[in-house]
Amino acid sequence: MSRKLSGLGAWVLQRATAIYIGLFGVALLGVMLVSPPTDYAQWRNWFADPLVGIATLVFIVSILLHAWVGIRDVLIDYIKPLWLRVSLLALLALGLLTWGLWASQSLILVRLV
Amino acid sequence: MKFAVSRFNPDTDSKPHMQTFEVAVERGMMLRDALLEIQRQDESFAFRHSCGEGVCGSDGMNVNGTNRLACITAVSDLKEPVEVRPFPGRPIIRDLVVDMSQFYQQYKAVEPWLVREDPMPEQEILQSPADRDKLDGLYECILCGCCSTACPSFWWNPDKFHGPQALLTAWRFLADSRDQATEHRLNELEGPYKLFRCHTIMNCVEVCPKGLNPTQAIGHIKHLMLRQGV
Ligand code: SF4
Repeated sequence: MSRKLSGLGAWVLQRATAIYIGLFGVALLGVMLVSPPTDYAQWRNWFADPLVGIATLVFIVSILLHAWVGIRDVLIDYIKPLWLRVSLLALLALGLLTWGLWASQSLILVRLV
Repeated sequence: MKFAVSRFNPDTDSKPHMQTFEVAVERGMMLRDALLEIQRQDESFAFRHSCGEGVCGSDGMNVNGTNRLACITAVSDLKEPVEVRPFPGRPIIRDLVVDMSQFYQQYKAVEPWLVREDPMPEQEILQSPADRDKLDGLYECILCGCCSTACPSFWWNPDKFHGPQALLTAWRFLADSRDQATEHRLNELEGPYKLFRCHTIMNCVEVCPKGLNPTQAIGHIKHLMLRQGV
């Protein structure tokens, strides 16, 4: 990772993703309030809309990046032994990746099945 | 008035303990005066102080849980018993005297001097009044250390994170129209530690006896970095 990415880059990323997560959350809340899907078929249709799909995908990636920068910050602050920090970071990366794949899989499935 | 002060003698103690003193308070008495009175009662009691009017920045300490300068803290404003401890997070040398060398190292690391690429003019380097105004709220720092030793990020990484004081100084030179090392200064601040350990906790702003705002200075640095980066 370049130096830029670990300092200013991470800081900008965290703020940019925070804005997107906030906007997406508000939009989602709006949809749920105005015309909430009432059954499974409607849910699927809604998610199958390419616009919703892309927005959700960006949302998933934003959550991943945001969580990575945030939790990495906490680990840098509090975990001193390098081996422990690296192990925890690896665990975090694995966990986030797993969640990311699982979350995007449902997006793909909804278009295939 | 009751004062509980932290005592630590490196030769005999394994950790600090509190000792209570009774001091007769006079009108207009400052905490520094009370500590001097305590010193008269027990001359082994050690604390740093010098100018006595909030200019030298020597008598920073933790009073009832807040970092402040003893010489400009009126005892009448304090809750009894007044608990006086050394700055948190710093190695204690004796009683209220702490080792501030990491704090000064961080100050030194931001190269707190003007850097000129152009040849030096015959006389002074001129600056417009508007440019000079940009240094207000920055140059007044007396390096007392109240801010950095109140900063959790500095507690956890005093060797790698510059801390609010040094970052305020970094911005003081970045903001100076006469300085020509902006690129270099910003490059030096890159990476996850030196600048970006700041999580805008703002303890620094709360405790600064000079009313300065290191958090705002740090924000200015980040935005300048951003502007230079894109
Ligand atoms: S910024 Fe304020 S609290 Fe920090 S060292 Fe300077 S004068 Fe002291």
